Amino acid sequence: MPKKFLLDMYVNRCLRCGGCMAVCKTHNRTPEGVHRIRVITFDEGEPTETNMPMPCLHCNEPPCMYVCPTKAIYKRKEDGIVLVNKDTCIGCGYCLMACPFGAPQFEKGTFGNRGKMDKCTFCVEPYEQKDEQGRLIQREPKPRCAMVCATGHLLAGDADEISAKLRERVGYRMSRGVEKTFLTF
Amino acid sequence: MALSAMKMKRRSFLKLAAAAGGAAALGKYFKYSGAELFEPVAAQEGGEKVELIKTICIHCSVGCGILAKVANGQLVDIEPWENHPINRGRLCSKGASIPASINNDRRLKYPMKKEGGKWRKISWEEALTEIANKMLEIREKYGPDAIFFAGSAHVSNEAAYLQRKFMAFWGSNNIDHQARICHSTTVAGLGNTWGYGAQTNNFNDMRHAKSIIFFSNPAEAHPVSFYHIYKAKQRGAVLICADPRFSRTAAQSDLHLQFRPGTDIPLVWGICYEIITNGWVDEEFVRLRTHGYEYAKEVILQYPPEVAEEITGVPAEKIKLAAKLLAENRPGTLQYAMGATQHEVGTHNIRAFAILQLLLGNAAKSGGGVNAFRGHDNVQGATDLAVLSNTLPSYYGLSEGAWKHWAKVWGVSYEWLQGRFASKDLMHAKGATMSRWRDLVLAEETGDKIGQPTPIKMAIFWGHSTPSQAGTYLVKKALEKLEMLVIVDPYVESAAALPERDDGIILLPACTNWEYPGTVTNSSRQVQWRNKVIDPLYDSKPDVEILIALAHKLGFGEEFTKNFKKLPEDIYDKEIRVGARVIAMRQSTWRLKRQEEYDYVFNVETLRAEGGPCDGEYWGLPWPCWNDEHPGTPILYRNEIPVAEGGHDFRAKWGTKAPDGKTLLSGINGHAELNPDGTPGPGWKLDLTTDYKKLIAANKVPYGRGRARLWAWNLPDPVPVHREPVWTPRPELARKYPTFEDKVYGETHFRIETKGRSIQERDIFEKEIHKAYPLVFTSGRQVEHQGGGAMTRANPILAELQPDMYVEINPKDANDRGIKDGDVVWVHTYRGYELGHYRSRIQVKAKVTRRVPPGVVFLPFHWAGMFETVEYTQRFPEGTKPIVIGECANTISPPGWAPETQMQTTKSGLCEVTKAGVIPEAIERLAKA
Repeated sequence: MPKKFLLDMYVNRCLRCGGCMAVCKTHNRTPEGVHRIRVITFDEGEPTETNMPMPCLHCNEPPCMYVCPTKAIYKRKEDGIVLVNKDTCIGCGYCLMACPFGAPQFEKGTFGNRGKMDKCTFCVEPYEQKDEQGRLIQREPKPRCAMVCATGHLLAGDADEISAKLRERVGYRMSRGVEKTFLTF
Repeated sequence: MALSAMKMKRRSFLKLAAAAGGAAALGKYFKYSGAELFEPVAAQEGGEKVELIKTICIHCSVGCGILAKVANGQLVDIEPWENHPINRGRLCSKGASIPASINNDRRLKYPMKKEGGKWRKISWEEALTEIANKMLEIREKYGPDAIFFAGSAHVSNEAAYLQRKFMAFWGSNNIDHQARICHSTTVAGLGNTWGYGAQTNNFNDMRHAKSIIFFSNPAEAHPVSFYHIYKAKQRGAVLICADPRFSRTAAQSDLHLQFRPGTDIPLVWGICYEIITNGWVDEEFVRLRTHGYEYAKEVILQYPPEVAEEITGVPAEKIKLAAKLLAENRPGTLQYAMGATQHEVGTHNIRAFAILQLLLGNAAKSGGGVNAFRGHDNVQGATDLAVLSNTLPSYYGLSEGAWKHWAKVWGVSYEWLQGRFASKDLMHAKGATMSRWRDLVLAEETGDKIGQPTPIKMAIFWGHSTPSQAGTYLVKKALEKLEMLVIVDPYVESAAALPERDDGIILLPACTNWEYPGTVTNSSRQVQWRNKVIDPLYDSKPDVEILIALAHKLGFGEEFTKNFKKLPEDIYDKEIRVGARVIAMRQSTWRLKRQEEYDYVFNVETLRAEGGPCDGEYWGLPWPCWNDEHPGTPILYRNEIPVAEGGHDFRAKWGTKAPDGKTLLSGINGHAELNPDGTPGPGWKLDLTTDYKKLIAANKVPYGRGRARLWAWNLPDPVPVHREPVWTPRPELARKYPTFEDKVYGETHFRIETKGRSIQERDIFEKEIHKAYPLVFTSGRQVEHQGGGAMTRANPILAELQPDMYVEINPKDANDRGIKDGDVVWVHTYRGYELGHYRSRIQVKAKVTRRVPPGVVFLPFHWAGMFETVEYTQRFPEGTKPIVIGECANTISPPGWAPETQMQTTKSGLCEVTKAGVIPEAIERLAKA
């Protein structure tokens, strides 16, 4: 079952508290300049002010995967998570040019300079951590950014998990005041 | 039952539950705790011993729970504590990056001493001996009051309590902490209105509000509170934001009331005017549970929305709409923080908020109340346990009765304590405060009258930051003049580097709050047990141990530790719990630990445990919690539920009759304060043995059932009236609404001569500084940083997320001055009242944004490392300087102090912004004049 991130854009809830960015860096120990998720802000200080967390969306047809000359980027069959094999990545940066979301990350000074690309792994792989046998550490696909999101703007998981959360959210409003729900949406 | 349940381990309880209900039912109804959820993950990681320890965040006052992941004694990661009833695993950037704050090589690693301009490593023994000898020398030469102790809201309840006790045993009231410059006016404002100066409801309860009016910016200062605020919004609540800035909270709100800084009262009175004239007042509530409505009404009717518009700049239509929304969506809650408190009229701002809620009948109910969001993780606890110069723990004051009460708790005689003080008068006189201690150091230079025999000669900064104190120039001069400066902090606080002095500074490394256990009280009065996660790193020591070691060096260690066998639990159970009766802070630590273990039985809507060993208890046993059977009081002043269930009433604190002859006892079962045997009298707060069972069984409230006071006859303004800020951009309004007369401050105010009106006369009417400095200055928080930022600015993750100190300026003001976004600019201000220092300027980055309206600039206050455009990081010990530095916003804060609490004014000053290096002619002329 593919796992995805979903941003609840019906009600824009993101406050830019930075919990997602900070917990990602704490949990995955990414170095300075590598942001597997980044919140961006439009129209700061205007009534239309909007904050948007931007993780990797783990596309169904990932452009980054198709342009990778060494096939270092792959999509896991069991859960659709897009990962990069750092042993074969040559740091050419094509993935960053192909990705419409700016998800591929490079450590400072390594872009196009034989650095290794790093990206969101749905929290299954921390940053270049291997066990004693040299195997990459693999963890449960539980993105910490979505777990700590104070406002529930950032959702993650299988379709059924996300759908259940959204239904619960809207269902409450509908059950308590139908007009208001339809007026808002 | 309670005791046996306490001893039962969580697993055996689960087994029991499973046996009773079947394993399938368990899976369905019990959410697994985070620990179990992550066990398989932990096992994967190389087979090392991985533990998940439940603990509490060390930053803001929401009190979020976090699971700290510890492997081989090292803090390696955090996990969301998904069953924690307050945050359900949610975290903001500060909480989510704590490991980087604790495992940080910029921490102060060992005691250090500055000698001949060089920092030198010294041993703990040498450091403590030197400090103690100097303290005793100063005591000999100048008396005990020549030492100022700045305590902390960032320590556990036990350490905060010991700080106060330490200074009581030392023999001086010169002890204060962040709460003075944070929410001291809340205590005065709410306390004088209905009895207790604390947040009335709690974060979770905001879910039940139908309308919420913000007077601060919780989206940035307390982001996790929005977990509950959004629940309210999802259920249809209307959000109104009253803020001079279009903050992130305003962006999420339905209505934004953009008023000029310092005009909260006319705005609230404009709303109240509409409520009164449209008949939206909750008449029954006002009649039965309040006193003085007619006095308040008389004042409020002088502020129709049109007058409010003239003063505040908010269109009258918007004020009317806000009133209508609040009246039609009840219960509604009111939220505020430092934007309302840090004014010379702070107390009256808060009283105006309380009166608005009383008129609407929103007080004392779920979904209503006045939610004062506090700043630091334990500022509520440190306030309750009185790291304050004007009271002893639990708001007893400094009267002889208060000292005798605490002497009894401490097991010493009143006479012995009095012998420690310079005189009986000084024992009962309020001490120096955080906002003016520097003037007590510099009294000889400034010529200000002081209320103690000598100026202050030595200061101990125990977890207090410098950037939060107004008037950095004077703070710097004071730090330079002291004979000795001691700083106790996990990081090197900027007080160590700001003063240009070559010796006489000693730094002691305290460990962080995750390296020593203790209790912590969040903003909602909920006391939580904070587990120790790892052993203290480097050569750092826990606050409690340092304080006790210092007490032994000073020769009163035996008396100081008389009641303690098991640290830190005994500090709470044997002393705080016994003595803190005014607020009934009588939770036992075993109950707090039990709650932490059975976190999953608490209902997130009500915070009440349903079933399990804590059945019926409220999370954190919020005070008043009268005895070991009491569930705590999550919502203050609810009189419709029995006392045994967390009910009570407004405090009968001012007697039974008001000066106008009307009763002050509640219209519903009203009674005066009681002795434990049920007779009227103050025995409830003085008896050290009672557990109030008799009173609670009779559904009597020990402190009485009184009325909320709309008319507080003991304050300078019995009903709040508008007073222009000392430095106002509107002199014509200052003539009509002048600030406080000098005489309300008395000869000395908290031991220092304090002025109000005469500063306004001199600076605004005579010098007309508003012409040279036309922009209004206000300050606030950034989400990534906390307090003075010593910890967060040294944290690589947070420093990367927020590397900049800036000034927010409207495009119009910026364009008028030729400033572009990102330019380096100078923010100038007048300094006429400081030692011949006539102007001051700070160098920051310009952030051109419509967040601020034309005429207002905003600066975050967490920054240090530069002073008046010059960097001073070379004075930090090697390797300890923070990653990001900036100018301190409070270098350019205005004068003005609240007459009730000496709160500093930092939210409404005057300034001018220019490109770096430019000093406008008007400023030069003013400086020469």
